[in-house]
Amino acid sequence: MAADARVDSAVNDLHWLTAQEIAAAYAARRLSPVELVRALLARIDKLNPLLGAFIRVDAEAALDAARVSEAEIAAGRSRGPLHGVPVAVKDIIDVAGQATTCHSRIMLDHVAARDATVIARLRAAGAIIIGKLALHEFAIGGPSFDLPFPPARNPWNPLHHPGGSSSGAGAALAAGLVPLALGTDTGGSVRNPAGACGVVGLKPTYGTVSRHGVFPLAFTLDHVGPMARSTGDAAVLLDVIAGYDPLDPGSVDGGARQYSADLARGLRGLRIGFVRGFHERDIEADPEVIRALDEVARVLTCEGAELREVALPPLQDFFGAQRVIMASESWAVHARWLRARPGDYGASSRRRLMAGAFLSAGDYIEAQQRRHELIAAVAQASREVDVLLVANAMDTPCRIDDPDTIARTYSRQARNVFSLTGQPALALMCGLSSQGLPLSVQLAARAHDETTLLRVGAAYERATQWPQRHPALPTDAPVKPA
Amino acid sequence: MTEQDEPVAERDILAQATAAGLGKAVDEFPQDVLAAAQAARQARQSLCAPDDSTAEPWPPMRASTPP
Repeated sequence: MAADARVDSAVNDLHWLTAQEIAAAYAARRLSPVELVRALLARIDKLNPLLGAFIRVDAEAALDAARVSEAEIAAGRSRGPLHGVPVAVKDIIDVAGQATTCHSRIMLDHVAARDATVIARLRAAGAIIIGKLALHEFAIGGPSFDLPFPPARNPWNPLHHPGGSSSGAGAALAAGLVPLALGTDTGGSVRNPAGACGVVGLKPTYGTVSRHGVFPLAFTLDHVGPMARSTGDAAVLLDVIAGYDPLDPGSVDGGARQYSADLARGLRGLRIGFVRGFHERDIEADPEVIRALDEVARVLTCEGAELREVALPPLQDFFGAQRVIMASESWAVHARWLRARPGDYGASSRRRLMAGAFLSAGDYIEAQQRRHELIAAVAQASREVDVLLVANAMDTPCRIDDPDTIARTYSRQARNVFSLTGQPALALMCGLSSQGLPLSVQLAARAHDETTLLRVGAAYERATQWPQRHPALPTDAPVKPA
Repeated sequence: MTEQDEPVAERDILAQATAAGLGKAVDEFPQDVLAAAQAARQARQSLCAPDDSTAEPWPPMRASTPP
């Protein structure tokens, strides 16, 4: 359905509008920022007790910002495609004057003195910061019930987990609480909840988006990434937040670029490399996941892409290097608190973060050396293709109250491959399981080629219309989980 | 490993944790300390040795330079 028609038919469903549709509606004077923010705040009031997506909603500040946007747009002073568009932020990213809790008792009193660079960029573009989102504690420990806030739940079935660690972002987007969100990704934490909740999550190339003002998990693996309900929205959000930042030592000065430039180009002439080995050889995926990935390959071929088979090193090789690096670097961040305040962590984080105490400097250096070899191996194997087609999760999300299954299935994934290599990776919904839970695919491109990656994602969405599918949620009254 | 070895190994792990400054965690959450040590051991075992141990590891993260 065309954007204009969707806006017309969505008078009572403002919460499902994409950011691009919202911008079009503002431009046509068919919607105002205040009207939209009020509608979303009302929906958050109704659904957040069930879903736990938001830790904090800043209603007054959001409405104040909406009024300013409304006046500016009415005066013809547009600041671009995100002007007046609400964005929610994982609560590991600093927003001036608000606590950055990292979903942890350790950080409850940590009030940010200034905005993170990504927040400053959003404000300059006229976006409205509507609130802070739940996460797995410090982006590593969850889903957990022993933290100061409840865990976010999956809108497709609130008895199931929403992935993580950007759990609140996935839940908020899938439930129509907000059109755009910022997540962070160290071992797959944007792409996991995007896949589990049936939305879009992009881990950009390492260094593309500033991490200044974002609480670290592992310095050489951390990324900030856009999350949305469509690839187009993720691209528009990336256009705003990407760019060199001298305050982030990992930031790359690649010059200004428009990542949304090729969204409408289609797939003719592109070569897709299908990496079957991860989900057929290294970890046998759920049959529904395998069928969905085969169907993605078929759709991309029908849309004009050329499909090739690509073999990469075994997943276990990536896991080994990634786990040693993440454990070592996160131990360096948390050692002082783990020594002094171990009881203020949830059990899951405490166990994971203390692992680094038992690794040596030599282990860490070996892992970094192996990482460079894996980066080279992926580049060599992918030299004849433009984009890789890869599994995201090997299973659909299990019940949130089943820690044994969570522990068994969380590592059954192919996401940390690209956390390790630093190249961009995009998670997209590609179906619904027999249980009615989202299935997801992962696409990856060469470093700094987000434009091609987003082009493939947008073409796939046009061909399948998965972004138009939403979970059925009760909205008549505030509800709480059973 | 014999049944007698296991408690000794656990004592060693807890001593190592104490030496790393985690004495409070050892006192209050010994099972979490042991689980962390096991996770570290598994991570180290799953790490493939690099082909070239003389390769320069710095900078530790370098996606290729932008076009």
